[in-house]
Amino acid sequence: MRGECAVGVMEIGRVCVKIAGRDAGRRCVVVRVLDEKFVEVTGPKDVSGVRRRKVNVRHLVPLPQKVEIDEGADDESVREALREANLLEEFSKGTGRGKI
Amino acid sequence: MARKEDPGRGRRLKKRAIRVRTPGGRVVVQYRHKVHSKARCALCGRPLTGTPTGPKFKMRKLAKSERRPNRPFGGYLCSRCARKVHLAAALS
Repeated sequence: MRGECAVGVMEIGRVCVKIAGRDAGRRCVVVRVLDEKFVEVTGPKDVSGVRRRKVNVRHLVPLPQKVEIDEGADDESVREALREANLLEEFSKGTGRGKI
Repeated sequence: MARKEDPGRGRRLKKRAIRVRTPGGRVVVQYRHKVHSKARCALCGRPLTGTPTGPKFKMRKLAKSERRPNRPFGGYLCSRCARKVHLAAALS
């Protein structure tokens, strides 16, 4: 259904959308790959409302975009990378309140 | 103040009437509260989880976070349908 198990999709810097949980519908960036099922992501919190947390990959869907960050990057450098890829605007929308 | 006799009240109450045998051997009619139906998912129609149902006076006592899940579409779509919707929105 989703390509997340494909090798090399869910890696550091990958832009994803959370599709489950209270922050469903929001963008986030993978900061660290913990194991086959879990990654650490951050929004960062003040950008897209997703705090730095461990997330099951099934709750994420990867997007084509990627940003240049190194493993375990702090929110400041993630925000900087997002600004360079001018994704900041896109990250701030999408709180999943829309009608279906 | 005398309550106006409500013609339909007998029929309404009859549905909620329960015959109870008291310790004293008498048979007494007691009226249970109406049974409220479960909330249903707007897409798949399955009963929603995390969504208690009950008469108004009970629901009013619950905090908002106790009445529905704290998730976009919480209390409106089931978690599976909500996931599908977010997935479709993300990929579009």
